[in-house]
Amino acid sequence: MAGRALKRLMTEYKQLTLNPPEGIIAGPTNEENFFEWEALIMGPEGTCFECGVFPAKLIFPPDYPLSPPKMQFTCEMFHPNIYSDGRVCISILHAPGDDPMGYESSAERWSPVQSVEKILLSVVSMLAEPNDESSANVDAAKMWRDDREQFNKIAERLVRNTLNIPYP
Amino acid sequence: MPAAPMPIGGLTMFSFALTASVIGNAYYQKKQFYPSVVYITKTNSSMAVIYLLAFTLVILLGKFLKKIFFGSLRAAEFEHLIERSFYAVTETCLAFTVFRDDFSPKFVALFTVLLFLKAFHWLADYRVDFMERSPVITLLFHIRVVSLLLLLSLLDLVLVSHAYYSTITRGASVQLVFGFEYAILLTIALNIGVKYICHSVDLQSENPWENKAMYLLYTELCMGFVKVVLYAIFMIIMIRIHTFPLFIIRPMYLTLRAFKRALNDVILSRRAIRNMNTLYPDATAEELRAVDNVCIICREEMVTGAKKLPCGHIFHSSCLRSWFQRQQTCPTCRMDILRQSQPAPSPQPPQQPQPAQGAAQPHPTPAPQQPQQHQQNPFAGLFGPQMALFPPGVLPPFPFPPVPMQQHDQQQQQQSTTNTTTTSSASTTTSSAAGTTAASSTSPVPQASGLGGGMGQPGGGSIPAMPMNFMPPFFPVLPFNIPPPPPPLNFSAMTEDEVRQMEGNERQHVEARIQVLRNIQTLLDAAVVQMNQYASVVASLDISSPSTMRNTVVPPPTQDVVPPPTQDVVPPPTQDVVPPPTQNISTASPVSTPTFPTTEAISTASQSQEEPSPAPTPVKIDEVQLSPAEASDIRGAAAAAPSTSGVDTHEGESGETASSSNSSLVFSVDTTTPDLPDPDDPNEIRRRRLERFSHNS
Repeated sequence: MAGRALKRLMTEYKQLTLNPPEGIIAGPTNEENFFEWEALIMGPEGTCFECGVFPAKLIFPPDYPLSPPKMQFTCEMFHPNIYSDGRVCISILHAPGDDPMGYESSAERWSPVQSVEKILLSVVSMLAEPNDESSANVDAAKMWRDDREQFNKIAERLVRNTLNIPYP
Repeated sequence: MPAAPMPIGGLTMFSFALTASVIGNAYYQKKQFYPSVVYITKTNSSMAVIYLLAFTLVILLGKFLKKIFFGSLRAAEFEHLIERSFYAVTETCLAFTVFRDDFSPKFVALFTVLLFLKAFHWLADYRVDFMERSPVITLLFHIRVVSLLLLLSLLDLVLVSHAYYSTITRGASVQLVFGFEYAILLTIALNIGVKYICHSVDLQSENPWENKAMYLLYTELCMGFVKVVLYAIFMIIMIRIHTFPLFIIRPMYLTLRAFKRALNDVILSRRAIRNMNTLYPDATAEELRAVDNVCIICREEMVTGAKKLPCGHIFHSSCLRSWFQRQQTCPTCRMDILRQSQPAPSPQPPQQPQPAQGAAQPHPTPAPQQPQQHQQNPFAGLFGPQMALFPPGVLPPFPFPPVPMQQHDQQQQQQSTTNTTTTSSASTTTSSAAGTTAASSTSPVPQASGLGGGMGQPGGGSIPAMPMNFMPPFFPVLPFNIPPPPPPLNFSAMTEDEVRQMEGNERQHVEARIQVLRNIQTLLDAAVVQMNQYASVVASLDISSPSTMRNTVVPPPTQDVVPPPTQDVVPPPTQDVVPPPTQNISTASPVSTPTFPTTEAISTASQSQEEPSPAPTPVKIDEVQLSPAEASDIRGAAAAAPSTSGVDTHEGESGETASSSNSSLVFSVDTTTPDLPDPDDPNEIRRRRLERFSHNS
């Protein structure tokens, strides 16, 4: 079963290298362990996260793809759907059954049909359109709703952080 | 062992320096070897320094061994190790409290060794698990793991045997704890070994080894069981010898949980495999060609061993199996597989009951409603065991065809006479409703129960309640036009879906369960009707015995028709058995009711099964159906004791006729069996004997 997990991860890695989606780079941290990946996500254009390059790590369970991987940004993030420690809270990363927010239908949960690419694309779209209904970071959600200007400022600072450009 | 390099280096330097200074000081003071040794061992502070040195040496040794067997530890391994070591140390400290009498440096040393061995077992476990994660497994890795496993199991064995012999020779001591700890470690080592072998085999072959997960699962189950047993024994021994072993509570709990999970996994996977094999067809080559033949679960091409789900999606059967262990949905469209495949098995049952029904009933009903057929199906499995005794086709599902009509007559008569209580009116309405064959999917239950209540009511206790032994609800007599449940053959009639339909807590599960209970209730009500039939026979037998009669005259029984019994004669046999005519979803009353008749049926069934006679099963039915007649004989014998012999003869005759008519009723549909009771039948003999007995008295 887990040999299958390794095979599938290798297949996905190959596909991601051959046809990389725009704005996403991902691969195993080292070639000896395919169950820990690193990903770089470009902030989607036309949003407050534009131009940022956000590093994240993905930890795959031994029974992948039957269980979802965990994803965590390794840089500082301020976003309604990202916990303050960087963990990403999107429904396709939740296994059917456990429902941390109590509102997700099982139709939008993890299933083996999902893949690293789909996860990362979902994260990109999450960056573009935060879901402030179910906030992992309440402060960010509140600011996103009430004080968009302030939120954009923080986002710009984060973008500059990731690019090592000092904030003016 | 697992600590940052700097502290270890510092500690080593420090302890060596301290030891050197202590030894130098001793030698400086005593000038000779032996006096200095004596001096050091007598001074506590010097001994502390020596112990510190020993501790440092142990850590160094541990690091050295780790280097040999594992190379460098990965971050995750290190984290796990620290966490588990923390717990292990805590538990060791707890164990110290139990054995504080034995506390000595040797004791501490033994515990340290145990801790080290434990740590190496954990690390070996992580390493072997890592085999399935890494694409590169070097030869060095194999050599390391194999030698480590061999060494560990050897050490465990030696230490277990040492503990065993020391316990045998010197009685129970701390060695007991060590013995059990090492025995547990030995099972862990074995488990790791099996895992390693499985992974190695898997690595050797090109294709993934399908059954590996299964083997691993069973290994885990076995080892879990062994561990649970070991812990239980250890717990018992500890409680008897020392005190409650607080320090094994946590590992014991973890072991129990792991065992439970393994058991659950095994059950789930077995079920998944069974479903895979029975429910879903193999995908054909054309189907594979028609779609993109990549299995969405493993992202590899499907050549063979692909299964097609009802929704049309195709996957590797092995991938699907492991997914179904977690969830019963299609991975692609999330369709609930079980709910979808439900209608598939339904077409098969309707054929059986329908022809029999048509033959049995004077007014053949229109085809029974589809939902009803559906709901009756789960019921089939419940009554499987006793029904399984009868070969299919030998017995019709409707053993008392004329009864419903009679019942009907009786009801109308009853209605026309006097009693217009609420129950009788209820039964009237139901009878008319049944007459128009307006049986909805839910109506059978209230109908039947209303009928039962109506029947039970007018008896009014004129005849003492019939003993329950004479109630063999073997085959349901469903009054009127309610289609009877199909004759269940065995448990296999209850398909996996139906079972699953009744499992779970969701609405449809509860509904399915209630439906089954309703079916049971219908059966029970049918049994009540049958009971009343018997009662009417009994009443007709009791004509001549005035002690049981009150004021009504029952026409003598004829061969063809059982007389419509009047209300006074009908005993109230089942008033407590009959559930109130509830229509709502009250599960309690249907649940409580089936127990008695069902067990009764089972006991009678097993009785007839025990009979060695090779007679066909219908004869056994005969026996069962005859029993009320027997009962009437017994009753007659008791009631007619003071009466004349002429009456007795008459009674015997009437008993004969009644029983024969009864049995003719039973088999009027069944063409394969004789109508009259066989004179050599043991029951007949018994009955005659009873008659003779009543004569004598």
